[in-house]
Amino acid sequence: MSTLIQATGLTKQYGSKLALDNVSFEIQKGAPVALVGPNGAGKTTLFSLLCGYILPTKGTLSILGHNPGSSELFGKLSALPQDAQLDPRFSISHQLAFYGQLQGLSSKQSQAEAIRVLELVGLAEAAKQRADDLSHGMRKRVTIGQALIGKPQIVMLDEATAGLDPIHAREIRQLVSELSSEATFILSSHDLTELERLCSHVLHLDKGKLTEHPKQNNSNEQQIGFITLLLNEQYVDVEAKIQALPDVSKVYMSQAKEYVIEYQKTATAFDITLLQFCYQQGWRYRQLVNGHTLENQIFKQETV
Amino acid sequence: MTQLHPQRLLKIAQFELVRLFLTKRGLLAVAAFAICWLLILRYPIGQAVSLISSPEIAELAQQVFGAIGLSKLLDWPEAELAMYWLIALYSFPSFCLFLCSDQLVGDKQRGTLRFLSLRATRNEMLFGRFLGQVFILAALLIVTLVAAVAVMAFREPALLMTGLSRSFMLFCYLLIAVLPFIALMTLLNTFARSARLTVVLAVLFFAGGNIVVGLLSWQIPAMAMLNYIFPGVQLDQMAGQNAGLFNSIAIPVIQTVVMLALAQRIFARSSL
Repeated sequence: MSTLIQATGLTKQYGSKLALDNVSFEIQKGAPVALVGPNGAGKTTLFSLLCGYILPTKGTLSILGHNPGSSELFGKLSALPQDAQLDPRFSISHQLAFYGQLQGLSSKQSQAEAIRVLELVGLAEAAKQRADDLSHGMRKRVTIGQALIGKPQIVMLDEATAGLDPIHAREIRQLVSELSSEATFILSSHDLTELERLCSHVLHLDKGKLTEHPKQNNSNEQQIGFITLLLNEQYVDVEAKIQALPDVSKVYMSQAKEYVIEYQKTATAFDITLLQFCYQQGWRYRQLVNGHTLENQIFKQETV
Repeated sequence: MTQLHPQRLLKIAQFELVRLFLTKRGLLAVAAFAICWLLILRYPIGQAVSLISSPEIAELAQQVFGAIGLSKLLDWPEAELAMYWLIALYSFPSFCLFLCSDQLVGDKQRGTLRFLSLRATRNEMLFGRFLGQVFILAALLIVTLVAAVAVMAFREPALLMTGLSRSFMLFCYLLIAVLPFIALMTLLNTFARSARLTVVLAVLFFAGGNIVVGLLSWQIPAMAMLNYIFPGVQLDQMAGQNAGLFNSIAIPVIQTVVMLALAQRIFARSSL
């Protein structure tokens, strides 16, 4: 795997506020990477640094071997910056075609490319409309489209599905999933379920500090497994009853109706045993996750 | 970030022309400009000969123009161009402050520059937008000059050829004269928060700056040199065709280069 992005000791200070504190990480070519964290954690600052919109106070950042903002990255790195809008005076296809031309496409190619990306985000029929005439969700989809012009190797989407209706949010997730063989996506979102579906590598920012969570291998020990069980209702003595099952070493309630079960891996399929046990107890379950949910990995693990 | 690719630079500059001539808001500005110039062409320029050459006014004109250093203009057989020169020399720089007030700031506030900066360096965006405004001003100068020459040729067709060569010279001088005004607006665009604020800052720069320099040079005469920081410092001399090449060309070009260099320094480090 080749390294796409390498950050070393990245620090960004706004006056007395430390937005990013000595952040180091590497992003390899491959599956989408999630960037998560609460509001004000430094996600947009990190995106802005990666795109070259701002300069770091300290530290180095290398993208495909170049500095952020370098002309060598034009057409290779693209982004959906949060809250950025297209010019309301021009038709959206005109602006996308202009971006295509700046990326080196001919006038004809850039027009075809504009239509192609608008088709990808389901807006080909609105190509001649101006950005002002579109709804908030449609404008968002156009700006996602602009990030797909050409053949970028890295696509950064900051809150791509925020403000989209569920159908279009799902389409965007599907689009990311389909295109992730061609480009490495870096996604920032507050929807952890969405990121869990798409990403294998999670960068968690909180108060400017970074921690990394690989999605797989929740435990270093090969013999320990985890299952997250979400029940339909609040039943009595769930923890105690599951704790009594063979091979179970620990059970705790991660949040309402959700239980994390730690067990010793044996020849018996524990998930089957657990489902049979639920059936016997008359518990209706909603979801069974093999391992921790991303949400628990990020926000609950340290409380266990 | 500092690279300057000619093709991208031109694309960005061309886009500014499209913004003015092919968008509704741009066309409205052009229409307002055209109406003003139709009035100018109809009255001061259209009546230039009768104003300047009529026996009743000739002596008065000679005295007034002589007093304010414009007597050379009375010798031009192309009276319409003399009038055009006087009006354009002062109106285009002032018009420039409004026309070029939103080179970067609107796109910066809206976030549009963030899309652009993934495809063009900051230098290309800055100088491309500057160049775009130069193209626009050049186009407007050409249109008004052609109209003034047409008015002149309608009165006296024999003057057409000399009028054309003189208007080419006027075009070059006028374009160079507006360059530092455009560059000043480019500079203000790198740190102002809105297009309106850039106009306010420009007015403050000229009004407040002149007062400050006036006071300083009153105390220390050598401080009068500071007048050279103001675009248009040479316009009065240029109006009467009394300015040398240094004043007509070198001063505005140096001012433009200095302002663009400052703008480049600021924009290269500013957040988008």
